[in-house]
Amino acid sequence: MFEYLSYGDTGFGDELLAGTLLTLELALVSLAVGIFLGLITAAAKLSQNRFYRTLAHLYTEVVRGIPEMLVVLVVFFGASVLIQIVATWFDYNEYIEVNAFVAGVFALGLVFGAFSSEVFRGAFLAVPKGQLEAAVACGMSNWQVFHRIRLPQMWRFAIPGLGNLWMVLLKDTSLISIIALDELLRWSKVAAETSKQPFTFYIAAAAIYLFLTILSDLVRNYFEAKANRGIAPHA
Amino acid sequence: MTPSAAISINNLHKTFADNEVLKGVSLSANQGDVVSILGSSGSGKSTLLRCINLLEVPTSGQISVNGEELNLKKDRHGDLEPVDPKQISRIRSRLSMVFQSFNLWSHMTILENIIEAPVHVLKKPKAQAIEDAMELLNKVGIAEKADAYPGELSGGQQQRVAIARALAMEPDAMLFDEPTSALDPELVNEVLQVMRQLAEEGRTMIVVTHEMGFAREVSDYVIFLHEGRIEEQGPPDQVFERPESERFKQFLSSGL
Ligand SMILES: Nc1ncnc2c1ncn2[C@@H]1O[C@H](COP(=O)(O)OP(=O)(O)OP(=O)(O)O)[C@@H](O)[C@H]1O
Ligand SMILES: [Mg+2]
Repeated sequence: MFEYLSYGDTGFGDELLAGTLLTLELALVSLAVGIFLGLITAAAKLSQNRFYRTLAHLYTEVVRGIPEMLVVLVVFFGASVLIQIVATWFDYNEYIEVNAFVAGVFALGLVFGAFSSEVFRGAFLAVPKGQLEAAVACGMSNWQVFHRIRLPQMWRFAIPGLGNLWMVLLKDTSLISIIALDELLRWSKVAAETSKQPFTFYIAAAAIYLFLTILSDLVRNYFEAKANRGIAPHA
Repeated sequence: MTPSAAISINNLHKTFADNEVLKGVSLSANQGDVVSILGSSGSGKSTLLRCINLLEVPTSGQISVNGEELNLKKDRHGDLEPVDPKQISRIRSRLSMVFQSFNLWSHMTILENIIEAPVHVLKKPKAQAIEDAMELLNKVGIAEKADAYPGELSGGQQQRVAIARALAMEPDAMLFDEPTSALDPELVNEVLQVMRQLAEEGRTMIVVTHEMGFAREVSDYVIFLHEGRIEEQGPPDQVFERPESERFKQFLSSGL
């Protein structure tokens, strides 16, 4: 069976590797977008402004209530329709294809943002009140209190939850194969069908996903240790 | 209410919802005075202290620090609110607060804790801030812990760092809210020792405390708060030897 997995023209090893890299790239970019959305949404949820709070809760409820696969499809086809409409305003009537990678990042980022906003909200609230008060009492501005005291401490409460969401995100990248992005699962499927060796290729794909999650665990442990530096585990 | 008062408070009221916690408190501390505030739990001691640097906004009354009156105006509900955030920040930076639970920033080393506000609020050059911080750490006797994190220190050590952090702001006056109440009995003295030293240097201090010995020996003036009112006040000899208020007598004999 190993010849199928070999590198080069005869095997699918290089295709699987390319798929894996694309999967990772997709997941990492989505993570960045998702963290950004999650932080903003958490800030909105904690804001005094009722309009921002409502908007943030609406976004979270809607995205969390819809299966991820549907979010991907809605974003992909929704974006096509939108772009097409905008294009006709400029008298452009050719078909414009939506970039599957961009649509995938947007969809996965949207999902990650919705879930992580709850993690961030809890983490912001977990920062000890007294420490924020001490900062206020020294004459720090609201912004200084936020970015010097609250933000850096928030991570140690957020990282465990973010780690779990990252695992889900990593596996959800496989959903993007339905809009024809050549990530790991799609290449495995192509390889499986071409070679008539489905078991081999799906097992190989499974092993790669598993490897990535184990690797992720190590990375998470590193960040967790870093965020907890100097803080006793029971504190 | 002399102009030389470091802190003066006039007829301060504070109400939370319908709970009137401070019912007209006036006090003043001159430059170099140590004022101790006594009172049983819930009498409003912390609230009074927190109003002085506007961690709580008073419902009515006047506060001035070094002759500068805090600008408060009535909002549309008739409650006071600060007029000028810059003034508040400035006044806060001249009044340092030491908390019962230390409240050191746990993601920063001891040294970083101490230079944080001098560098970011007072805009002191970092090298200068570090030099001053090391001097203060020496003074409170924990220079060797400069690179440790707060979580690695005992309560007494943390509170001494918190005092150094407060001193680093070169404040006009220091506010202490039960600085030894969270400490194991054997650690109380090392903190009181530092506070005595500060008093001897002529620092202006307002200290909420349950340490009768400290209040008696170190303070220039003692205030006993009961249900949001000053029940007894005066120099320590007077209030401890010849208390007038029945409630204060009870408070003293209850062995606190
Ligand atoms: N932020 C707040 N919101 C509502 N009520 C408050 C608030 N802070 C204090 N109180 C109430 O004000 C009263 C006085 O509280 P305060 O903390 O000033 O008492 P204290 O004299 O410092 O007591 P202790 O010795 O227990 O520290 C209490 O009844 C308390 O419940
Ligand atoms: Mg108190």
